[in-house]
Amino acid sequence: MGWLLASPYLIYSAIFFLIPLFWALFLAFTNWNLISPEYETVGMQNFLDAFFSPSVRAAFWVTYKFMLMFVPIVIAGSLFLALIIHHLPRWKGLFAVGYFLPYLASGVASSIVVKGVISYNSPLNQFLRNALGWDVDWLGSPILAPLVIALMMAWKFVGYYALLFLAGLESIPKEVYEAAEIDGAVGWKRVWHVTIPMLYPSFYTVTILAVGLMFGIFTEPYVLTGGGPEYATHTWQLEIYNQAFEKLNAGYGTAVAIINSIVTFASIFVFRKVLEKWGGKHGWE
Amino acid sequence: MKKRKWFKLASLLLAAAVIGTGCQGQTGNEQGQKKEGSTVQIDFWAAPNPTQQAFWKKMADRYMKEHQNVKIKVSPMPESPSSEAGIQSAIAAGNAPVISENISRGFAAQLADSRAIVPLDQFEGFDDLIDKRQMKSTISTWKFADGHQYVLPIYSNAMLFGWRIDILKELGYNAPPKTYSEVMEVGKKLKEKYPNKFLWARADLVKPTWWARWFDFFMIYNAASSGAHFIDGNKLSADRDAGVKTLQFFADLSKNKLVLTKETKDPFESGVSVMSDLGPWTFPYWAEKFPEMKFNEKYVLSMPPVPDGMDPSQAKTFADTKGLVIYASATKEQQQAAFDFVKWVYSDPQNDLEWLKETNLPPARDDLSTNKAFVSYFEEHPQLKLYAENIPNAIPPMDNAKMVELQELIGKEALNPVVKGEKTPEKAWEDMEKAINGVLK
Repeated sequence: MGWLLASPYLIYSAIFFLIPLFWALFLAFTNWNLISPEYETVGMQNFLDAFFSPSVRAAFWVTYKFMLMFVPIVIAGSLFLALIIHHLPRWKGLFAVGYFLPYLASGVASSIVVKGVISYNSPLNQFLRNALGWDVDWLGSPILAPLVIALMMAWKFVGYYALLFLAGLESIPKEVYEAAEIDGAVGWKRVWHVTIPMLYPSFYTVTILAVGLMFGIFTEPYVLTGGGPEYATHTWQLEIYNQAFEKLNAGYGTAVAIINSIVTFASIFVFRKVLEKWGGKHGWE
Repeated sequence: MKKRKWFKLASLLLAAAVIGTGCQGQTGNEQGQKKEGSTVQIDFWAAPNPTQQAFWKKMADRYMKEHQNVKIKVSPMPESPSSEAGIQSAIAAGNAPVISENISRGFAAQLADSRAIVPLDQFEGFDDLIDKRQMKSTISTWKFADGHQYVLPIYSNAMLFGWRIDILKELGYNAPPKTYSEVMEVGKKLKEKYPNKFLWARADLVKPTWWARWFDFFMIYNAASSGAHFIDGNKLSADRDAGVKTLQFFADLSKNKLVLTKETKDPFESGVSVMSDLGPWTFPYWAEKFPEMKFNEKYVLSMPPVPDGMDPSQAKTFADTKGLVIYASATKEQQQAAFDFVKWVYSDPQNDLEWLKETNLPPARDDLSTNKAFVSYFEEHPQLKLYAENIPNAIPPMDNAKMVELQELIGKEALNPVVKGEKTPEKAWEDMEKAINGVLK
């Protein structure tokens, strides 16, 4: 009976995860181009090519660069937002939903809006040029382009992650704060020594989600920069898409996708261990 | 007990796999190849553009009325994440249609290389179709390196440059420049009068985006080389002299600060730049968003400029053009029926006129500017006349299966560094040649 009840999920997993996974594992060792009826097995060649490819190497480092920018910004932003909403006397739900809305916006639509806002002749740039003499090349600079994308993604996800922090804040018992107050922890001390450690489960979830997200960035760089300038915004997903669908190297693209999943898994594992160590210090198991 | 559980789990997964593959088979190739009695069923994938779909639906309905033994199902091609990727996925999954439009010559080369499409010149009545549609000259540049024709071009946008004639007049010119030195002279005068304006605003000049090369490098190169092939089969056959001159032109534009490579919203319409690569798809957009952009008042059109000493009237340009292909996975009967349908559509110039009216895309015909059927349309839309006249002067994309990589290298090794001032045109051409030869090996 148990198997029968579990069967919908098992069948779903088999069709949409297991079969594609085994198929991908097989494809990664071939030179199939997605449309030809013929292909050959090439052993480890795709993995070796990927290992020495400058664009794959760029995707590897760019992901961590995005992580360095996005994760602190989105955690600080969403925590700050959650704290404000938490202390609101009323309409908490309304504000929480309001800040969540950007999460629902299409990545393509918001990228096009951002492109307009930072275009050469936008009011923002005209002001910077006329008032301050700054002629900023937002998407042409290898430093600014990833920052623009990281900020844009932070804007999109801050409301969503704030909800997770808000749930954590709401679940902290009042007694903990009262005890801390008696011990003299007020203001920032209270936030630092009580609220943040008590929010460990939310921090854990948000950090893992945010880190995982960095390995799946596609739409924003695809629309805004195409991966440039000089690979400064070239992500794993762009590399996989370009190889599999633009250059018709499906076998190679699959190998890159497998490497991407291994790197993602390893990175999340490291973050988990670090977070668990931090949580352990504060009594979280 | 444990073993039994594992057996059950394995059986379940196996059943799922069978169902999965079963589903694929059912929705796969078979669907498009069904033959009901004596009726041949054809799946036609139209471009994901409502006007093109409307045209093909109309044509299919009319054809089916005259030919009761053929059933044509017109549907939009999947376009997630792009129409090319949609077609590739369909072929991989065995869901390819019998015939589709919206195929560029470059993508057709990839499909032909994998034997996913069939040569059209082997169908009975191909030459007759070319004669009837008056497209001998236009289609001659479409011949693939193996001597076959895999694509029937539907429309051809001979890419032109738009010039802001109102600003040119302010600078003392009544017509756009035609040679490189004339362009530089206009640029110099523009900068003297308007230091914040540019000749050309194009962020793609510093990006290696492969398809962007069609609308910058190839427009200028085709003009400079009189349309010399860039790649012939698996050999780089580009005209080196014309190529270096092309890169020198971009280097000079950049050195004189005449190009803007930052992202800019509607630079030509707002007057930030005075020239822009333009296709006819721009005009419906302008009619809606920039009604002040009137032909001969605000802008004029011209073929790309040529190197000094060359006759500008001989200039060629890039053809943004797409066409029809027939897929190899269809049965012979379906392929012939699909070809007969295409032949029927293009045997009557009125159908091309209907296409032009519906889509604003110039039919790929040699006689578009002279055929009486189209005269009144071009009188009403004079801005499209130059596009029509230059269809035979427009060179389609290269027919190499590695087009994406090759065009990326043109940007990476040559155009981008030249515009950034990092390489001389000679060095850039040399590096590009080396890199391209490496890919073509």
